[in-house]
Amino acid sequence: MRSAGISASSGGGGGRPWQSTTSVSSSGKRIQKEMAELNLDPPPDCAAGPKGDNLYHWVSTIIGPPGTPYEGGIYFLDIMFPSDYPFKPPTVVFKTRIYHCNVDSVGNLSLDILKDRWSPALTISKVLLAIRAIFTNPDVCKFFQSILDNPLVPGIAHLYLADRAKHDEEAAEWTLRFAR
Amino acid sequence: MFTSNNIVARIFERQIRTPAPSTSVHRARQFYENLVPSYTLYDVECPDHSFRKFTDDGQYLISFSRNHQDLIVYRPTWLSFSCKEEDCDTHDLPLKAKKFESFFTQLYCVSLASCNEFICKDFFLYKESNQFGLFATSTAQIHDAPAIGGAIQGVPSIEKITFHLLRLEDGVILDEKVFHNDFVNLAHSMGVFLYDDLLAIVSLRYQIIHILQIRDSGNLVDLRAIGAFCREDDELFLNSNAQCMAIPDKSKHQFPVNHLQNGLHRNLANLDNSFLSGIKQRLLSFIFQEIWNEETDPTRRVRCLKKKFYYHFQEYVDLIIWKVQFLDRHNLLIKFGSVEGGVSRNADHCSAFFAVYNMETTEIIAFYQNSSDELYLLFEQFCDHFHTSRNSLYMNFISSHSNNIHALEQLKCIKSKASVTSQFVKKMLAVLPLNCQSQSPSPYFDQSLFRFDEKLISATDRHRPSTDHPIKFILRRQPYSLKFKIKPGPEGGSTDGRTKKISSFLFHPILPLAISVQQTLFLQASVVNIHFRR
Repeated sequence: MRSAGISASSGGGGGRPWQSTTSVSSSGKRIQKEMAELNLDPPPDCAAGPKGDNLYHWVSTIIGPPGTPYEGGIYFLDIMFPSDYPFKPPTVVFKTRIYHCNVDSVGNLSLDILKDRWSPALTISKVLLAIRAIFTNPDVCKFFQSILDNPLVPGIAHLYLADRAKHDEEAAEWTLRFAR
Repeated sequence: MFTSNNIVARIFERQIRTPAPSTSVHRARQFYENLVPSYTLYDVECPDHSFRKFTDDGQYLISFSRNHQDLIVYRPTWLSFSCKEEDCDTHDLPLKAKKFESFFTQLYCVSLASCNEFICKDFFLYKESNQFGLFATSTAQIHDAPAIGGAIQGVPSIEKITFHLLRLEDGVILDEKVFHNDFVNLAHSMGVFLYDDLLAIVSLRYQIIHILQIRDSGNLVDLRAIGAFCREDDELFLNSNAQCMAIPDKSKHQFPVNHLQNGLHRNLANLDNSFLSGIKQRLLSFIFQEIWNEETDPTRRVRCLKKKFYYHFQEYVDLIIWKVQFLDRHNLLIKFGSVEGGVSRNADHCSAFFAVYNMETTEIIAFYQNSSDELYLLFEQFCDHFHTSRNSLYMNFISSHSNNIHALEQLKCIKSKASVTSQFVKKMLAVLPLNCQSQSPSPYFDQSLFRFDEKLISATDRHRPSTDHPIKFILRRQPYSLKFKIKPGPEGGSTDGRTKKISSFLFHPILPLAISVQQTLFLQASVVNIHFRR
């Protein structure tokens, strides 16, 4: 199963999964099921859907939660499902600039459930909810635990802990400039 | 009510009767029915230049040398000659008077282009309040230019494009703005729009709308660049932030790759890890919010977004800015389309979108498809609001279907004949955003005064197919008589009926004076006729 998945993923680009092997279609079925779930019970202020007819490449939108410095922002995220999904987590990249200690300067998102704490029981709806949660509560503790392992944006995390008001002011300025 | 077409009667009437409120200009313009360029000097011997246009105030005639390197500016003057005999009206003009020089006095000749550069003969914008002229020169176009440094693949490149700001009074070059390895659509001034003192230049290749200001001092000043960023200091803001924000070291920055299996690693290589450009973020967020707010039920909303938004997401991301015009000092009308449509001349079949963007608030205000009925209705009813450079009085009299009943009737007629409405709407909206200063304010194109065949001649500055038949200008009012004819080409018609000929017409905005230039497609000398009131 693993090998089939890898060979399929090396194909790259759009429309890839359709003519592929059984293992891919099982991940495809899973993604489809999650899509149906998402459509039935969408998480608040979130939406997502496949880009074109490529089931493995999604776009998601998260509306900056009210009461946070991200309020008023519309954040677009790229979601890439690996061909051996759900055994491997999806990759989430911000397409909208954001001032956040868990998002690096090119948009890569650091979230424990998308890395070592990933579980096949998680779904895209839960991932979206988790991302939305870090808008309200940036993952600073996790960040410091893994600081040696994964130094994403220590400057922002430090500011968040040291001077919350200044952090929020800065984040709001970013929202106004880059996420409207 | 007594009305007469006799000019003397009209002058008497003007003396004794006050026109209805705010119609005095209209009344004055009626005199043009009596003063028409009905006399033609055929095949006038004139300098071998390509004549571009009269400035909208009638002060200058702009022309370029045949090698497209020099600008020659003339002052239109009125013909004067002396006649020894009595009753000279019946005589033909003396030979000495039948010259280009008796109508136009050369003011100066300025070299704008160096050896490998050429003046774009389709490009000229005029800033009337200062009598400044804007010209463009460019080097040759490279079609298969590699897309480097953020350039759009498939857009040609020009090594050097220079915009020259000239004081037309004396031909002094005041300022220049140079674009390197870029592409600005200069044909018919498509890629540039002038509104008061604000200038918008669209870089097709780098997808930036450069907003410049033409200062009274004669300087071209960069105000902002819309594209990658929206506010003028966004980039500065980001860079100054990057310094305090620890930028992850490239070698250490392996996330999420080192946590994942090899298979995904290769996937990531394909992933385009770039942020949306400033204007795209605004556009996508506007489209998203429109759909989001339209539907209140969460499940239906998500389904709607999936179908209408996410499915087309990449198409929206791939849209490029084609063309821009100002609607006022803050709002731009931007046309977005595919790369292919932006470069090719005939892009009518491509789907395209219109957005209204406020550059002060950096917000998208409206977004329409190019078959949008809503935008069409706005265009039908408020066409004049799209023609923005109408600060001078006579520019208000350019006929459009919003200010002229005859033009409106004509439009309604075409509309009723159109079998598919969406096709008609697309065709009509294809003119948006409008070309800047592309219409002649000449009163002879005022459709409330004259009727003429718009296929052969119109206020729009374009080359037209030429026939051997003269173009008739017929009175709109009683007695609906033929007032004058404009005939391009030689007096006796051309000897060879088969060669395709094209004509262009330059009407003076105020005087009963026009130039027609007829060219064959081969490199024969053009035939220049001067039409005036004798």
